[in-house]
Amino acid sequence: MAWQSPNGLVHAMHSIRRAAQLRPFLQRSVISASPISSPFTPTGLRQRMSARGFTTELQPVAAPEVDLAEFPVKPARIIPVSAAYFSGSPKFIDHLLRLEALLAKYASLPTVSPSDAPRMAWFKLLQFRDVVGEPVPTKKYKALLKLLQRLNRIDPTVAPEEVRSALGLFLRPGNPFGVKPAPATVDDKGRARGKGKRKASSAVVHLVEGEGEVLVNGKTLNEVFPRLHDRESAVWALRCTSRLDKYNVWATVQGGGVTGQAEAITLAVARALLVHEPALKPILRKAGVITVDARRVERKKPGHVKSRKMPTWVKR
Amino acid sequence: MVSSFCWSCLTRLPPAPRAILPPTLTAQRVAAFHTSTALFSSPVKKKKGDAPVAKFRQAKSAKMKKKKPVERTRPPAVGERKALKKRIVLSNPNALEIEGMQDLSAENMVDARLRGSILGLPVPMLDQLRAVQAFKPKQGWSIFRRPGTVVRRETLELGRLIDGISSEGENKGKVVRKIVTGVKGSGKTVHLLQAMSMAFTKNWVVITVPEAQDLVIANTAYAPLSDENPNVYVQNDATAALLSRTVTANQKVLSSLSVSQAHPALKSAVKPGMTLEALAKLGIQDPAAAWNVFQALWTELTATAPAPGFEKTFKPRPPVLVTMDNLAHWMKESKYNSINCTPIHAHDLVFVRHFLSLLKPNANKPTLPNGGLILYATSASNSPAVYGLTVALKQLAARQAGVNPSSPEYPQPDPYLNADKRVLAVFDASKSTAPKEGALELQTLSGITREEARGFMEYFARSGLLRETVTDAWVGEKWTLAGGGVIGELEKLGRRLRVIA
Repeated sequence: MAWQSPNGLVHAMHSIRRAAQLRPFLQRSVISASPISSPFTPTGLRQRMSARGFTTELQPVAAPEVDLAEFPVKPARIIPVSAAYFSGSPKFIDHLLRLEALLAKYASLPTVSPSDAPRMAWFKLLQFRDVVGEPVPTKKYKALLKLLQRLNRIDPTVAPEEVRSALGLFLRPGNPFGVKPAPATVDDKGRARGKGKRKASSAVVHLVEGEGEVLVNGKTLNEVFPRLHDRESAVWALRCTSRLDKYNVWATVQGGGVTGQAEAITLAVARALLVHEPALKPILRKAGVITVDARRVERKKPGHVKSRKMPTWVKR
Repeated sequence: MVSSFCWSCLTRLPPAPRAILPPTLTAQRVAAFHTSTALFSSPVKKKKGDAPVAKFRQAKSAKMKKKKPVERTRPPAVGERKALKKRIVLSNPNALEIEGMQDLSAENMVDARLRGSILGLPVPMLDQLRAVQAFKPKQGWSIFRRPGTVVRRETLELGRLIDGISSEGENKGKVVRKIVTGVKGSGKTVHLLQAMSMAFTKNWVVITVPEAQDLVIANTAYAPLSDENPNVYVQNDATAALLSRTVTANQKVLSSLSVSQAHPALKSAVKPGMTLEALAKLGIQDPAAAWNVFQALWTELTATAPAPGFEKTFKPRPPVLVTMDNLAHWMKESKYNSINCTPIHAHDLVFVRHFLSLLKPNANKPTLPNGGLILYATSASNSPAVYGLTVALKQLAARQAGVNPSSPEYPQPDPYLNADKRVLAVFDASKSTAPKEGALELQTLSGITREEARGFMEYFARSGLLRETVTDAWVGEKWTLAGGGVIGELEKLGRRLRVIA
């Protein structure tokens, strides 16, 4: 305890004095939310301010009489602005309450499906923690995000400005979803280009309108893929949309093994086909040729025989 | 008291009495310098019921000795396995008979309306085709009721060619020589078979080498041709087999022709008025004379006029079809060794040399004066890599495309890859002055068209092998999956058993 040491006693006295000098300033700043700011300052304080630095001149002054009628408008102690001041993360809870209030206010507005709602780049958790400067738990932030998404689903044509500006506070700066690559188009010779990767293989496919001829690295399909399954999977995107006899495929594929090459071509053909006919996307997605399989071979680790395998246990 | 021994003669000390100890203890040995007493305990004996030392990293369970099964079945007899491997089944009674399937005949082999349909091979001809070994064991004839082939574009061209050579017209007596190449499963061997069947319908003489490899892998006997040219080798057994094939397949034609030339090499064996069948049989009976007989037969077949004295029985000779499969094996050194233990080049075998010489248009004398077709096919599955042949075929293709051999676009062999000069010389460009001698051509077989593929797949469906509705879309899909209609791949797709869930 600071009081027990003589040094601490001096320190305490100083702090009292400092607090006394700062009081009007504090009152102004902290209780700014209260309707009445006090221009009135007790005379005794002023005197003491002039007599700063001389502890011997400090004279006890009686506190002014407590006026209970004045109490509601001018509380006796400092009152924080936020009601959540003592919760540990007041700003976050303020945000949360504000959004909840907004939602309650506009809950009756029509909504659109999540896929039709404008795409928003909300703050990531770490960024949001930096912005509010409070330790926001993951779970609570998720709840906040849910609120944001619900508000974002309000039909954009009728969404009030209030909601829009409120949502704008939670967006990452720079509008990451605003920058989109130009949609691929068929070139002047009627070729659409698509790239695909699978395992260690990567394929580039040029798709032109034609009669169902397929050349992979300049060879026919059956020369490159002796296994029928691989041949079928290479042209699966065309097969499942019954476009096999309407396009010619010119594929270049490298790296990896036979299966990987075939499935890299699958993906590339599907992407090239989307350039020709973007409306086929739902069918192709159902056929499973748009989804990228990002799995790669897991690296080997020291102390392991392979990536996960441990050496055999040997007694001694 | 007197001591028990005499002090003066210690040497005579009587031996001390032995300690009365158990006999085992006396055997105990103690090191001389140890002062401590020996422990007269017996060494620890191993207990009987002691647990055995635990085994690690090996099977701990009790092992049961397995009894070796007694061999009851006998291995198949000698040659039985090979016979099974080489067996050719041309019919499947379980397959459905196809109504309205036409047989190959002289009329419909040039009929363009039949393109894409299946023409059956006439049943009497099957024996002839078997005799020339036109069918190969792995060709899948055994899944259909009776053998038949697709009429594709190349088949119709071939039909027109054979028809033109044998009938009166501008192409009569022409000699056409072709190398048939193409990817694996593109139907090269079946193309040869179609040529043979057409030649049989037109009553040609068909001479075939069904597998070129057999002549160069040291499976048949060989000997120097003669003392004059010891570096050329003759294969009598192989020649006798060739004569046998030719006689069996062309029996009708050869028996109607008779000897018209003098054959001094055969001396008195050849009688005047002898049929060519009998002449060829001389070589079969006596393989030592087979090569001479073959040469005599060849002279007879290429004769245009009788020698003096033979005018009475002379009949004009029919055109000749010569086919050979798996050309690349003849383009490298054979497995035979010369007397110096150096490998003999395939071109030094007189049999091979004869058939390869047919590829070159003869400058002064026509190769086949009565007309004919020379069809040599390459193989894509069993083919040794011969760089010289690759270049030669490229050059051939370039010449056919109209590239001048002196122009820079003409493919030249890489000087560092040592292309075989003899191989290049076989396919060399030289145009004959004779009007009926066609230059060597290259025919590359690729996939069949969609319409032809549809006919082919319908054949499977109508035979009951394929239980799917054959539509254009379905055929188009299979056509793509078969690498652009490669017929061998289409066959695999057609015969694939599909379980319909």
